[in-house]
Amino acid sequence: MKQLRVVVTGIGVVTPIGTGRERFWTNLLAGRSGIGPVRSFDTSAYSVHCGAEVHDFEVENYLSNLDAAHLGRASQFAIAAARLALADANVEIASLDLERAGVSMGTTSGEPREVERFDDLFVGKKLERVGPEFLALYPSHVIAAHIARELRFAGVNIMIPTACAAGNYAIAHAFDVLRAGRADLMLAGGSDSFSRITYTGFAQLGAIAPEVCQPFDRSRKGMIPGEGACVLILEPLNSATRRGARIYAEISGYGLSCDAHHMTAAHPNGEGAARAMKQALEQSGTTPEEVSYISAHGTGTPTNDRLETLAVKRLFGAAAYRVPISSIKSMLGHTMGAASAIEAAACALAVYHDRIPPTINLKEPDPECDLDYVPNYARAQTVKVAMNNAYAFGGNNASLILRKYQE
Amino acid sequence: MRNRVVITGAGVVSSLGDSPGSLQLSLCSGRSAVKPVELFDTTGLGCPLGGEIPSFDAQKYLGRRNLRPLDRTSRLVASAAQLALNDSGWSESMRKQEEVGLVLGTMFCSVHTISQFDRRALEAGPAYASPMDFSNTVINAAAGQTAIMHNLRGINSTISTGITSGLQAIAYATEIIRSGRARAILAGGADEMCFESFFGFDRAGLLCRSEHTAGDFPIPFDKRRNGFALGEGAALLMLEDAHFARDRGARALAEITGTGCSYDCSQGDDEESAVNAIALSIRHALNDAFTGPHEIDCLSASANGSYARDLHEAKGVYAGLNGQTRKLPVTAIKSMLGETLGASGPLQAIALLEDMRDGVLPGINGLEQVENDLPFDLISADNSQIDLEAALINSAGFDGHCCSLVLARV
Repeated sequence: MKQLRVVVTGIGVVTPIGTGRERFWTNLLAGRSGIGPVRSFDTSAYSVHCGAEVHDFEVENYLSNLDAAHLGRASQFAIAAARLALADANVEIASLDLERAGVSMGTTSGEPREVERFDDLFVGKKLERVGPEFLALYPSHVIAAHIARELRFAGVNIMIPTACAAGNYAIAHAFDVLRAGRADLMLAGGSDSFSRITYTGFAQLGAIAPEVCQPFDRSRKGMIPGEGACVLILEPLNSATRRGARIYAEISGYGLSCDAHHMTAAHPNGEGAARAMKQALEQSGTTPEEVSYISAHGTGTPTNDRLETLAVKRLFGAAAYRVPISSIKSMLGHTMGAASAIEAAACALAVYHDRIPPTINLKEPDPECDLDYVPNYARAQTVKVAMNNAYAFGGNNASLILRKYQE
Repeated sequence: MRNRVVITGAGVVSSLGDSPGSLQLSLCSGRSAVKPVELFDTTGLGCPLGGEIPSFDAQKYLGRRNLRPLDRTSRLVASAAQLALNDSGWSESMRKQEEVGLVLGTMFCSVHTISQFDRRALEAGPAYASPMDFSNTVINAAAGQTAIMHNLRGINSTISTGITSGLQAIAYATEIIRSGRARAILAGGADEMCFESFFGFDRAGLLCRSEHTAGDFPIPFDKRRNGFALGEGAALLMLEDAHFARDRGARALAEITGTGCSYDCSQGDDEESAVNAIALSIRHALNDAFTGPHEIDCLSASANGSYARDLHEAKGVYAGLNGQTRKLPVTAIKSMLGETLGASGPLQAIALLEDMRDGVLPGINGLEQVENDLPFDLISADNSQIDLEAALINSAGFDGHCCSLVLARV
């Protein structure tokens, strides 16, 4: 039996370098950074002070049914991204069978700011101020639920909180749901808000860079926590062509694996990451030589970038030196559960426009990172197949393949 | 063609037993785990009751391994995983040869760990927050820790859909095995009892109220129901591709023939929408299983004593099964375990495996004053003898998520 083909027909993003597909893509190609001093909370007790936050975000522009006061920040981002994606795909909600319209989202922390508010009251011995709405604000699954409630989607609704690879997991699941014929249209992506808890944790791991994120550079000093959301519209090819939709890319496969090695450190020989890439290529019937672009996890920590390079070499062999690899986290920081979804959007756009976004701040390559990381300037190049790699706490690895749509 | 998915083993750590057999014995003797909470102070809270696991000690299941990096949720999951691996015969050496996956459903993983990590930073300064605790603040921590402990190198995923998380995780893993992407996955769910989540449920007014100290509440489908009791636990099934299981000589306890899910955008506020969503999820599962309503031999209900939600479920099942519910035996094991959130669906599944083998379905503990106009004539506090070929498991969250599963004898 012929497998159903699944395509990306809409992109909605809320990121530190801009909201909406066009601004995001323009800034991404221009190599603009969204990193600056943290505004969300006071960082004077920390040794680092930079983050990649979303500024000037007006949720009211995106809400027709829900009240912003009853939505955490990650849910607000997610709803905005969903609305933007639907508009980008030219999908009228009224035209959908809502029981066959679903949502699959990823996150690292859910709604951590709501937990932080609880913690402030707990420490201040004012728990009596926590109201009945608390439970509807903070569990992670409310992000997908809030999107569905805002849009009245009654189909599949799922949250996949697999930390920093969650966006890829959520997109992969939506791909499976569509292939199994369980939905006509899926919103898939990830969302996370800037959080004191996350910032504290990465600071304590010594993983945060003081000012800039410089993946693969010899003097890279770490990652920069960020926030944002991305939602992709996925639909079966036949329904996309029937309605004359613009097709950014086709999703042709994915691979998931687990290192089962360490909670926060990747496997020293990149074995798990290579397995996920291999599975993804096999499922999409692609050889390593056919891959035109790899979107790296590329956090900018000394270990990640070295091991990721190793994993790519392990799988691609000599071909590794011919594939452009870039890390857009150099501009966006690490937007956590949203990161791999935003990176999937970048892959879809790279495939569609034949442009590869750069790794900025790459001045002097690390001798152990000796591949082509598209340093500092975007590149015009045919992109037939893009591979989106993401790695997470828990040793979770996820690779997604997006390819140029051909009939 | 899709691959068939069978259950080859189960592991459970619950308030009513740490094996499928002991759980079944408790359920069939009408033992309730719901008692005054001892894990934390409930002074000032509306509900003092919960279904805790008495003196849980992971060392009992995991031996001398280093448990220090694991919080309570991770210990529950790692323990249940060990039991499920033993039960299905997946030895350490086999796991070196073959990738085994893990799909865990959890509503919170550990909001206790998250909150404690943050409070430590607030009280002592960020420099005093523990990096080891930080790795447990991610919601996939329990799945990650368990994979490390048991060398589970296959697909590792965490699913959060509230109360339906665990059943949704089983549905997710089923789809992955069907499509040929994996041959063996541990799938199920877990949630711990902790102050932080308990407090949220209490504030939301969802928990039961009782004049008594134990045993009376919650009572699903009873006129006196006034909320649920929170519980805890971990329950995992070993799911395998049927051919693969047969070739390795594993016994198949049952087959998962269908799964379905849906979402109620009204979150239970609108009865029609709530009932439709539950019915839709059930219809999806039946269609997926190529099973007609008349072929369903019993229902394991999600009902936990919530006033509106239990009624929505009864009506949703009636609609989903095209009205063929009058003679349907019904069980609601949350009457004894409480609402164990992510563990609840998988616990329902494990109990059904036992029911299928023993031919006994546990009654609904405490049920005396059956709610008016229920579409179930056979609903009762007494156990019933049944011949189970196919069963429907339903899971319906208080905030809109619905998931259903059809389990069939092999």
